[in-house]
Amino acid sequence: MIAVPGLYFDGRTSRAYRVQLRVEAGIAHLSGEVARSCALAELHVSEPARHAARKLTFPDEAYFEAQDADAFNALLQQTGYRDSGVVRMQRSARGILFGVAATVVVLALGYLYVLPFAADAIARHLPAGVERAIGKGTLEFLDRHVLRPSRLPAAQQAQIVAHFRRLKPPQAGAPSCEIVFRSSRIGPNAFALPSGQIVLTDELVRLMDDDDEIMSVLAHELGHLHERHLMRRLVQSSAVGAVVTLLFGDVSAVVANIPTVLLDMKYSRDAERDADDYAIAMMKANGIPLSHMADAFEQLKRKEGGAAMPYLSTHPPTAERIAHIRRAE
Amino acid sequence: MDQLQAAAEPALPSAQAAPFVFSGSGREYFGIWIVNLLLSIVTLGIYSAWAKVRRTKYFYANTQVAGASFDYHGNPIAILKGRFVALMLILMYQLAIRESGAIALLMLVAVAFASPWLIWKSLQFKLYNSSYRGIRFGFRGTRGAVYKVYLLFPLLSGLTLFLLAPFAHQRLKRFQHSESRFGATHFSFGASAGKFYQAYAAVFFVWLTGVVAVSMLFGGSLGALGSVKNPAARGAVFAGLMGYLFVLYVWMFLLFPIFNTLIQNLIWNHTQLGPHRFRCEMKWTRVVFIACTNILGVICTLGLFTPFARIRMLRYRIESMTLLPESSLDEFVAVTQAEASATGEGVADLLDFDLSL
Repeated sequence: MIAVPGLYFDGRTSRAYRVQLRVEAGIAHLSGEVARSCALAELHVSEPARHAARKLTFPDEAYFEAQDADAFNALLQQTGYRDSGVVRMQRSARGILFGVAATVVVLALGYLYVLPFAADAIARHLPAGVERAIGKGTLEFLDRHVLRPSRLPAAQQAQIVAHFRRLKPPQAGAPSCEIVFRSSRIGPNAFALPSGQIVLTDELVRLMDDDDEIMSVLAHELGHLHERHLMRRLVQSSAVGAVVTLLFGDVSAVVANIPTVLLDMKYSRDAERDADDYAIAMMKANGIPLSHMADAFEQLKRKEGGAAMPYLSTHPPTAERIAHIRRAE
Repeated sequence: MDQLQAAAEPALPSAQAAPFVFSGSGREYFGIWIVNLLLSIVTLGIYSAWAKVRRTKYFYANTQVAGASFDYHGNPIAILKGRFVALMLILMYQLAIRESGAIALLMLVAVAFASPWLIWKSLQFKLYNSSYRGIRFGFRGTRGAVYKVYLLFPLLSGLTLFLLAPFAHQRLKRFQHSESRFGATHFSFGASAGKFYQAYAAVFFVWLTGVVAVSMLFGGSLGALGSVKNPAARGAVFAGLMGYLFVLYVWMFLLFPIFNTLIQNLIWNHTQLGPHRFRCEMKWTRVVFIACTNILGVICTLGLFTPFARIRMLRYRIESMTLLPESSLDEFVAVTQAEASATGEGVADLLDFDLSL
């Protein structure tokens, strides 16, 4: 019969009692400075750790701490005790290897498929009001810091709005949108806000050769609104941020931000490609030659000299986008 | 004399400096960490409460002092409920800072008022669910004191351009330590606000010396370049300026461990448990070294080094501590549930509002 030496703490004082543990017929017996017996079923065995003593806790929180790990483990085996599945996985090389592989696969699948799908579903099922409420303050903020009132003649503004209103969206259910004219310090620019506003800068209007080019830019922004890209990005970047913080947050908050930004850029580029496709479909539906849209992108590319695109977020290379438009012609 | 006593009582020593020992291993913790991570992601965060219990139990079981280890008793369901509440609060805060106007202000005030109470309950949860030698720790505190140290003093320190920050910090630590108890024995805290001002001043002067040294180093070369008119030299001035800002940032980053080390040593060297004292001998050079190599390791392994990093830092922090017992450690007495409830610790309905995995 196995006898395990150890210490017993009664849960009422901090005194350690030297005892021996034996098991007979499903009952654990302590003997030595204290005598106590308890049915095995009522005892709780602590999880194993290589350098920490295992504990046997009684229903009243008194516990026995084994001083001979090998004898204690032999006793556990003899009584038919088995660690839980999670503990066995944590302690076996194969389980850990599987854990690493499965985590990588789950993270990759989640990033590439599950998260975009879930974000899309969430964005589509949220009432438009929620998205608009989130974006309500954005324009006021931009007006205070980056944007100035437009200096375009009212007639030209009205003409652009009227022209865009006449165009047919490529799919039913296009959201209502309001075109807002502003002058900006950041050059030619157009962007959609969650509030359903499309901000168009004077600099962009002047850069374009004709109204059809402006229409293609507006169609791209309407695509962002129709596909609920802003809400989707919000859901996606929060989820990516949460997982990355889980992974790296313990070590450094600054380090955790780098992968978040990098991972989020792919979602941003995907959204831009979606919006380009939307604009292409809208041009086609209204019989506007796609060469106008390609020209619009050429203008922006020339203006920027191949550097960053004049939008709020990261974009695919302009040359690639233009090639995509030309292929669709 | 001490040695004679120790020889007479080899298994259960007392009245002898007892260093804290940490026996966790990075390799072993890696298994726990990766399985916790996988299950937490697959269950969309629900398992994270169980993960926290597993991880904490592992850390506690591997922390030993005077021949006995610690234990954690947190209930995963209570942790899960607390996490849900904390998440809602964070969501509210996030929405509030995006919005503007009266509703946002109201939400911010609500979050500001809820937070001290939640921190208090978390502390009670954490201490009540920790034990050593079968005796649970506990945390008392009153609502008034909680709001003073977590809301009023931080506000005052902000209003006085942080002149009161060392004072607010001292009051916070004094509250945390003197309201903690081990069984029926209370901790006490003897570091005065003056000591905190000294520590803050020391760190401030180290910082200032560094800034002056760096500025003189860069200032000389920048001044020389500034007088040159050609554009290439202007580019060099700009690059020099960026380098200057980068070095200042790194200096700030290095200062955090120095500050933490000073404060940690100050706090524990002035904390007592009944008649027993503690000694904390952290070296900032070592902390900086561990912190920097940890970050490098985590980056180079795309995160797989994280559990090793955690164990390294924990080992150093724990093993810097020593318990200096005045007498035998066998005489602490537990507090019953009824006694705990009578002092305002409603232990039955405690929740943990901490979000870490």
